[in-house]
Amino acid sequence: MAVLHAWRAARVTPLGELHAPPRMTAVLVRLAVQVVLVASLWHGLYAHTGTTAGLTEGQAVTYAVLAVLASRLRELDQYAGRDTVLQHMHFGTIVYWYLRPLPPQRYHALRALGEQVYGFAWALGGYLVCLAAGVVDPPRSAAVAGVFALSLFLGQCVLYFVLLTLDQLCFWTVRNNAAMLILIFAQNLLSGVYAPLWFFPDWFITLSGFLPFQATLSVPLSIYIGRIPLSDAFEQLAIQAFWVVALFLFTRFLWRRAARRVISQGG
Amino acid sequence: MNGMRIAWRVTRLNFRAQLEYRTEFLLMIAIGAIWQVSVIVFATVLLTRFTGMGGWDSSEVLLIPATRMLAHALFVLLLGRVHGAGRQIQEGRIDIYLTRPMPVYRQLQLAFFPTNAIGDLTVAVGLMVGALSRSHLDWTPGRISYLIAAIVGGMFLEAALFTAITCAGLRFPAADYWSRWLEELLGTFGSYPLNVLPKAVGGLLTYGLPLAFVAYFPAAVLTGHGHDTGVPYWLAAVSPLLGVVAYLGSRVLWRWSLRHYAGVNG
Repeated sequence: MAVLHAWRAARVTPLGELHAPPRMTAVLVRLAVQVVLVASLWHGLYAHTGTTAGLTEGQAVTYAVLAVLASRLRELDQYAGRDTVLQHMHFGTIVYWYLRPLPPQRYHALRALGEQVYGFAWALGGYLVCLAAGVVDPPRSAAVAGVFALSLFLGQCVLYFVLLTLDQLCFWTVRNNAAMLILIFAQNLLSGVYAPLWFFPDWFITLSGFLPFQATLSVPLSIYIGRIPLSDAFEQLAIQAFWVVALFLFTRFLWRRAARRVISQGG
Repeated sequence: MNGMRIAWRVTRLNFRAQLEYRTEFLLMIAIGAIWQVSVIVFATVLLTRFTGMGGWDSSEVLLIPATRMLAHALFVLLLGRVHGAGRQIQEGRIDIYLTRPMPVYRQLQLAFFPTNAIGDLTVAVGLMVGALSRSHLDWTPGRISYLIAAIVGGMFLEAALFTAITCAGLRFPAADYWSRWLEELLGTFGSYPLNVLPKAVGGLLTYGLPLAFVAYFPAAVLTGHGHDTGVPYWLAAVSPLLGVVAYLGSRVLWRWSLRHYAGVNG
């Protein structure tokens, strides 16, 4: 029974998307154009350059295209479903999350799980097409593919907890628009979405090593393209696991504190 | 004149309303700034790693993001509420605007004060100062006038693109999705020479989505690369004018779309 309830909660957002064909078409067009543009850009940049920052043309293009595909993993328009923490705080309906037989933290996690699995289907489809078309290079070995998959999973867990922290911020600040935009910027910059971190100065790479963002995308993609060799991968996986545990404990603590702040409208 | 006075008073009130939440106000300024910084970081990294991008030296390339960012910052400040207007359409606020004695488009623009524009403008002006100080060009009155015209034209072109999407949003509220993508495209591909891209892709960003006219073509004309852009020189040169023409066209489209607006209840 619990599994059935979990399934029902997890499929809410994907079902919403599947019932909005224009939105899915838009996502498809956007993803295709973005992949073509990004691949063209990096091919163009490498036209008169050999290996740069330890990355060959193939590695740089593969990294950039995979970063575009990975951005689909958490890019659903949750706002359209009127079920974000921000909206519930704004309209005073967050209290209903606490009146259901399903704990709010589990409901939040299940919704996110459904979204990430749905996004993963998009990313995987895009990856297979890009692989068949020769836009991205395949992983160098089955071991690399396996470690990459594990690293990507850990990275998505880190990303979930980072975004959850921002949602939880609403319990104290009501609005989190500004903080969310800052976080998206930090996430894109420090995880290597704008450009692979290897192109940045050494001090920047060192700084990002102390933050959780590079664990979300830069580490798995670097393992995939071979910029992080398998011999160093264990250390990176351990750092990712550390962030998963640390952020899990932190967000669990925040859930407890947040529950004390929930009041129905009128106090 | 009376309309201008009312618009000014509404803007002042909107600004005071934004000040009500001080932390959010300061954070929004910070957002404008760091969003622009992200463009600088991306451009700087590419310039450092790939010197001589598309045959342009780094000081020339810098003029492209500086022009684009300043045009964008002015757009955010003066006409930016068309971006993301889909929310107002979905909430039926257009219906309220239609009953008031002020043009709907103006009411849309006066819906709130864009606090983030303060941060956007600060960084954009800083980058432009940096770009001009590194430039080896002789900044004659003619060049300065053309640069100012390019910035204003870029602002109008961006406004035209977002207004066109908002027109679509009047009919299909989900069209707002495209405005986020457009912003992303402008930020990512509007900041460096498009001749590094294959011709077909460059053509798409010129004739399909006129992104090249915002900053790339004006900067090419200013830096002497106007004949290497893949379009006739005169077309690149009239970019600022195209921005104004496109904006006027988008306003005609807006009026037509509003006449056919059926409201959220059909």
